[in-house]
Amino acid sequence: MMNVHRIPRIITGLGIILVAVAAIAGCGGDVASGELQGVLVDPPGEKPSFTLTDTSGDSYDFAVETEGKLALLYFGYLNCPDICPVHLAQIAEVFDRIPDVARDAEVVFVSVDPGRDTPEEIRRFLDRFDSRFVGLTGTETELTTAQTAAGVPPAVISGNGDEYTVDHAGWVIAYSPDGRNHAIYPFGTRQSQWDNDLQILAVRDGSR
Amino acid sequence: MRRRPVAAFLVAGALVASCGSADARVVVSDARIGQPTGPNAAMYFTAKGGSEPDRLVGAFSDAAASMELHETTTGEGGVMGMRAVEGLDLPGDGVLVLEPAGVHLMLVDARRMEVGETVDVTLVWERAGEMIVTAQVVEPGNTMGHGS
Repeated sequence: MMNVHRIPRIITGLGIILVAVAAIAGCGGDVASGELQGVLVDPPGEKPSFTLTDTSGDSYDFAVETEGKLALLYFGYLNCPDICPVHLAQIAEVFDRIPDVARDAEVVFVSVDPGRDTPEEIRRFLDRFDSRFVGLTGTETELTTAQTAAGVPPAVISGNGDEYTVDHAGWVIAYSPDGRNHAIYPFGTRQSQWDNDLQILAVRDGSR
Repeated sequence: MRRRPVAAFLVAGALVASCGSADARVVVSDARIGQPTGPNAAMYFTAKGGSEPDRLVGAFSDAAASMELHETTTGEGGVMGMRAVEGLDLPGDGVLVLEPAGVHLMLVDARRMEVGETVDVTLVWERAGEMIVTAQVVEPGNTMGHGS
């Protein structure tokens, strides 16, 4: 009985909220009115929930640690001299240009090569780019769970001995503060695109 | 370093102009190595060929235990991987570009390198034979070359 009467009010309430959100978004200025230039995810994906271990040996719950933040998630490995460093260097360089965005952002690099990449090496690797970057590792099972949760095909390790290769997802996944994944960034993303998109994504939380 | 490619182009141009027989000359420019972040490093360059096609079949350097020719593949769904290849073709009157996400020379078990230093690498071409090129060590993420 009560529910029937409440429905119109809920709809009205939603309408007011939507108008308010639109008004706030309209105040965002030039930055928020731009369009994303990454590869759009439509409809936006949800932020995954997974827990791995950071380079200090502490447990890191991705969803909790990045809540309300702009978060960039990348699965790679250290013995990847070709593309992994370029991605990270690009993000570090853009962060230098937009410190206001960088301050509240979390860049998370997950090593998918637990056989070779030690926490110390991951830390040293990331410090080359930005000491704020978070490095994660885990068991093979944990890493598979994390990659599946994030919607990327789990890395495939092939070959034997020390000379094996790791096939892995070559893109960076961006989550805006609203916890959604609006776009991904494959290798070859230009600095201007990063610059543009990170500023837009950083304010996608409906409250600014 | 900067002037060398220009000079080499002039020499190559002179050879072409003279309609010399079998011109196997290869000119390499923009040779660079990303400072190693792990045991291996990647080297990139642009090679300009003579009138005849050639093929890069190997490389070696004091700076690495061995060197391999690698191709980065982008598979289904954007999954990227690396594969060793037998050789890299340089078409006649064409160019061979080694760049990130394309093809590169892998320095296996590379020694420590500082940004700014130079490393000599011997390239082995099927026709042009061995040639020593001097690569500049750059920041690990700054390997995109002049085109970026």
